[in-house]
Amino acid sequence: MSKILNLKTPVVESREQRLGTIVNWEGKASELVKASAYSSGGCGSGSGCGLCELNSPFTQGSVCSEQMVECQAGHVREAVLIQHSPIGCAAGQVAYNSLYRNGLRNRNKPVENIRVISTNLQEKDMVFGGVDKLRQSILDAWTRYKPKAIFIGSSCATAIIGDDIDSTASELTDELGIPVIPMHCEGFRSKHWSTGFDSTQHGILRQIVNRNPKKQEDLVNVINLWGSDVFTPLLAELNLRVNYVIDLATVDDLAQMSEAACTIGFCNTLSSYLATGLEQEFGVPEVKAPMPYGFAGTDAWLREIGKVTHREELVEKYIAKKHAEVKPKIEELKKKLKGLRGFSATGSAYSHGLISVLRELGVESNGSLVFHHDPIYDSGDPRQDSLAHLVDNYGDVQSFNVSNRQQYQFYGLLKKFKPDFIMIRHNGLAPLASRVGIPAVPLGDEHLAVGYDGMIHIAEIILDVIAHTKFHKNLAAHVKLPYTKWWLAQDDPYILSKKPELIYQD
Amino acid sequence: MSKQLKKIAIYGKGGIGKSTTTSNISAALVEAGYKVLQFGCDPKSDSTNTLRDGKYIPTVLDLLRQKPKVDAHEAIFQGFQGVYCVEAGGPAPGVGCAGRGIITAVELLKQQNIFDELDLDYVIYDVLGDVVCGGFAVPIREGIAEHVFTVSSSDFMSVYASNNLMKGIKKYSNTGGALFGGIIANSINSPYQQAIIDDFVSKTGTQVVEYVPRSITVTSSELSGRTTIEAAPKSAQAEIYRNLARKIAAHTESRVPTPLETEELREWSAKWADQLLAIEAGVVKDKKQVSKSKIYE
Repeated sequence: MSKILNLKTPVVESREQRLGTIVNWEGKASELVKASAYSSGGCGSGSGCGLCELNSPFTQGSVCSEQMVECQAGHVREAVLIQHSPIGCAAGQVAYNSLYRNGLRNRNKPVENIRVISTNLQEKDMVFGGVDKLRQSILDAWTRYKPKAIFIGSSCATAIIGDDIDSTASELTDELGIPVIPMHCEGFRSKHWSTGFDSTQHGILRQIVNRNPKKQEDLVNVINLWGSDVFTPLLAELNLRVNYVIDLATVDDLAQMSEAACTIGFCNTLSSYLATGLEQEFGVPEVKAPMPYGFAGTDAWLREIGKVTHREELVEKYIAKKHAEVKPKIEELKKKLKGLRGFSATGSAYSHGLISVLRELGVESNGSLVFHHDPIYDSGDPRQDSLAHLVDNYGDVQSFNVSNRQQYQFYGLLKKFKPDFIMIRHNGLAPLASRVGIPAVPLGDEHLAVGYDGMIHIAEIILDVIAHTKFHKNLAAHVKLPYTKWWLAQDDPYILSKKPELIYQD
Repeated sequence: MSKQLKKIAIYGKGGIGKSTTTSNISAALVEAGYKVLQFGCDPKSDSTNTLRDGKYIPTVLDLLRQKPKVDAHEAIFQGFQGVYCVEAGGPAPGVGCAGRGIITAVELLKQQNIFDELDLDYVIYDVLGDVVCGGFAVPIREGIAEHVFTVSSSDFMSVYASNNLMKGIKKYSNTGGALFGGIIANSINSPYQQAIIDDFVSKTGTQVVEYVPRSITVTSSELSGRTTIEAAPKSAQAEIYRNLARKIAAHTESRVPTPLETEELREWSAKWADQLLAIEAGVVKDKKQVSKSKIYE
């Protein structure tokens, strides 16, 4: 097999380089399927791109790749993350600590604080180089915590001055006898933060995963975040055990990924790099199937797991059992949800899954927002084309918007689609929706929508949430939005990309 | 399957003849049947011009500026007898960060496995030698080049640049970085120039790979947009470059240099300056001076 990922260099290749990722686009989902690499062969092949991205002259805040390193490498138990950065990059530690603590509690693990240290670089470090401070911080972390691995995240500042974190890391790997892992995640390297996921996963593949694995035939790597433990009971029905990675995993859990029978995930955006890398480097097959949302997705996903782990019979039994159990309940819930309109605003592949769930529940979902779009995933296998799966099985999405969490655009979309509720995972979107009178279904627990039961969970949360619509309407009646009259009256959320000169009007 | 690729970096102070020397080495190596890629790491992006009839090529960073997704193959051009030429490129003078430019360009080629794909025998990085920031040190770090040579004349400023480079190499040497192969002594036309360089290498525990005299053949070849190897293949100067290329091809063991401390370097150059003044004033004859240089050994 020719190698897809280049693990020889410590620096991960950015998403836009590998996959042709875009962050600004509007149109029908079916058009995006056609323009994407699975159909067009354009992006991802290295020669040009069939997918034309809108170019915006304005960005209203976004997220940084380095933050994704904080919320992945920073959430590995028994490890320490060093942020080799000025102190500003450490601002996210507060939020990521709360996610970590809540995640641990949710999974019945001992609750503890994150162990993330910033090298707190200052003017003189920028001038004279910061590696001495980095070395000191690593040694301090070692003395203080005796971790099983130390991650180093770069920052814009250290990447510009060319601090050689790689040499420091290899030196200390030898000195301390634990993996010290450099991750090149400076924000400016990629226009989308998901490159940060990839850089953590790249480092783990290179330095933590066990190179002499003793196979565990019933172990399944589940690439996830902090979600509640829905995979253990699900996979137990197939006599399989769960190895959750990367968040909340121990260093040993990460090391044993090479011993697993296969790798699965809840979202291709998150799992693409690691799952492909595990297959390429360690022969652990990535389950190449649609994601586990709605009947169609979950059926196909389970069948592929059955095939890869040789448990076809158990899978068929489970599918039959769950269909019989879940379908009547869903029919009941559909009656209650009838006439509702939902709008999903989440990370890319996850949204494809959520729209499937909404459509299974008979909720109208003709508009949606994703924060970026990958025209292909790392494996290049068309069975993972989650957007095509959505369109083929559940029909087109008339207004499928790509926008990297731009609040001003989101406002325009809410105004246009007037949904009864939105579905979100990321902060900052619900308050805006509330202020225009729309409640949000928060999916901080990313596993809520997974599988057959996921449809029921989602239906129940929607019903709970719309019950307090009046509160949001009240709120909307009493708040003023920060936009100009021009923007409040503007019908096209993408107008600035089409007529950039408008940004200079008074 | 790729063969054993030899990765070389050639540094030197701006204007010292580093690109001229590098291009002639590349030309001599392709002439000898090797597959060579010359990678210009200077924002001026003219390293490979004489391998391509004096023409500039689009740089890796030009592509980065123009396209959302860079295919590094588009930055590779072939020149004299099939030599591969790449220019990192960089910002205009006075803006941006040329060091980061080198980091970005080198990384792009590494990530896209270009060297393996082209099945090269040699990659030669031609780098601006005043190693002013982390970016310019990238080629001497772990996994990029194995052997570093520096082009230096006997001018003190040029020797200083070589000494600085040695400091960089020494720093990275214990973390798997490149080691020092030696000095390519350029524009050496008189015994005292040779003596200065010889003295410097003995002080720093290194060696001279080749003495290259200043020659009008080089200038006229360059003006015609070609290397000496191409423009004047039968000249004595071309033979010197071939010899240099053979030595570099045969070179296997590089070492950690022992650069002089600032104070030592100052004293060293002051002693030589006194002698040069004496030569100019006619107090000391050139030949005597050479023998006097033995004192320092």
